[in-house]
Amino acid sequence: MTPGSLATAAPSAGFDGFSAATAASRTPSERLAKRAFATCALLAAAAAAAIVGVLAWQTASFFSDVPLTRFLTEGAWAPFSEEPRFGVLPLLAATAQITAGAAVFATPAGIATAVYLSYYAGARTDRVVSASVTVLAGVPTVVLGCFALEFATPALRRAWPAIEAFNGLAACLVVGLMILPSVAALSRQALDAVPRSLVAAGLALGASRGRVLARVVFPVAGRGLAAAVVLAMARAAGETMIVTMAAGNQARLAWSPLEGLRTLTTFIAQTNMGDAAPGTLEYRAVFAAAAVLFLLAFGMQAAGRALLARPTTRAHAGRLAARRRPRTNRSRRP
Amino acid sequence: MKRLRRHGKAGTACAVGAWTATAGLILLAGVLLTRGWGALDAGFFLSAPSPDPDRAGIGPALAGTFWLALLTVAIALPVGVGAAIYLEEYAPKGRWTTIGESVVASLAGVPSVVYGVAGLAVYVRAVGAGRSLLAGGLTLATLALPVVIATSREALRGVPDGLRRAAYGLGATRWQVVRHQVLPAAAPGIAMGSCLAFTRAVGEAAPLLVIGAASFVTFAPQGPGDLLVSLPTRIFAWSAHPQPEFGALAAGAAIALILLLLAANLAVLALRRRMRMALP
Repeated sequence: MTPGSLATAAPSAGFDGFSAATAASRTPSERLAKRAFATCALLAAAAAAAIVGVLAWQTASFFSDVPLTRFLTEGAWAPFSEEPRFGVLPLLAATAQITAGAAVFATPAGIATAVYLSYYAGARTDRVVSASVTVLAGVPTVVLGCFALEFATPALRRAWPAIEAFNGLAACLVVGLMILPSVAALSRQALDAVPRSLVAAGLALGASRGRVLARVVFPVAGRGLAAAVVLAMARAAGETMIVTMAAGNQARLAWSPLEGLRTLTTFIAQTNMGDAAPGTLEYRAVFAAAAVLFLLAFGMQAAGRALLARPTTRAHAGRLAARRRPRTNRSRRP
Repeated sequence: MKRLRRHGKAGTACAVGAWTATAGLILLAGVLLTRGWGALDAGFFLSAPSPDPDRAGIGPALAGTFWLALLTVAIALPVGVGAAIYLEEYAPKGRWTTIGESVVASLAGVPSVVYGVAGLAVYVRAVGAGRSLLAGGLTLATLALPVVIATSREALRGVPDGLRRAAYGLGATRWQVVRHQVLPAAAPGIAMGSCLAFTRAVGEAAPLLVIGAASFVTFAPQGPGDLLVSLPTRIFAWSAHPQPEFGALAAGAAIALILLLLAANLAVLALRRRMRMALP
């Protein structure tokens, strides 16, 4: 029994329910059922352990040949060239570029979606927009990659001929579209957690809806909104197909979003594993890149969850409001 | 317009943002349909990929995706739901359960391509499944497993505790309570959450690309031991082709994939409604 399931039944917090059934629990079918469920849990744990274990093992053996300092300081990533180079920074920089670019597009649109649905939209608009957000969340990323190649890149190149056929900008735009549902759904949770009494108080004092949003809702929901963006960015950092298809796999450090680039994910996806025999340094380099990606996504998830774990309390919201009081905006008053 | 004015500037700005998703979706559907509609005919669904765009089709890829879906669900659904039942209904609350819980939660956020790399080492090489549909199915099942466990646990937790107590009070054993009370009550939630996890897994191309999906298979796979082919990797292969005719084929295959996933979702929605009606 989880503590959560008993939350509403306080008097029987010590309820086990099973001690009475000890005699019956010795029957073969009871034991078989328990053993079967325990096996399932063990299988799941074994799969998780195998993933983490194999990544750690191959990465450790990669670092026994390539020192960590070289991994962190070398200026290029070219494991397959004559003189292999193993600097992870260019891959990380490209990943950061795609992630930040996607967030630039998805953050305003996603938070606006959540605000509109929570505070402005009627029931019918809510249904239509929520449904399209849900459907968009279910579109496979390879289909979005196809969309980038068939529509986003040609449209961008028509507007801006200097752009290359494989470019980071189209990838950022379409990855932004991909993470938009995550930002919208998580932001909506954050906004719905704002006590209605605070909003009602603000409106009752005569503030406009926009003012209540800016002065009451956003300060209170701030952490939740930040968590929404961070968690969605974690998905963008791990996105493979859209970036591979739209931005190509250029072995260089490109700072311009008009050119192609190579991220952690596109390197992994486009390494033809037939070229890299198991045990070679190239093969282990793929695992090292995957381990970095794993840690990156893991860290961003942990950061997002830490933001959610300490939601803005009512007292904190009060302090925030007090801090803002001197900044009255005279020009807006009638 | 009147409505927009009533909302003020902030509301208008929010409305513009809110319709981005809908606009993007309509644009996506429009682009795919205009590009890919012409490719969709009976031959397209049956014939094999070919260097001649007029005769190329998604036959083997479609069959491969059916096999992958079957394997993924057959592996991840029992293991995931069983693990969730063990954690919720049987396991003693303690340090190990808490650790397991947080590991499952964080594995759900690991990028899919990482599962491909791990699947290559574990299933293709260590288990010895080779570049087969079985290896692909195992990889996709591992990818879906954390989400299946998490949604199943949530559904089990949503079952009112009074139901369990009443059954225990009547002398039911734990397995009887799980089998006759808890599982039927949680089934609609489990079905919906797992369906989302499985449609996401079956639409994944990146992990299959890493473990080595064959791009040029001209015969339909007959069993889980056959070469790994799938619809998402087919879309990728055609998109990467420089000739524009293959872009149209990729768009057609993308339409087929979306229709397939949509049909699966609608079927599970209908199933859920029936399960709800069957509840007392």
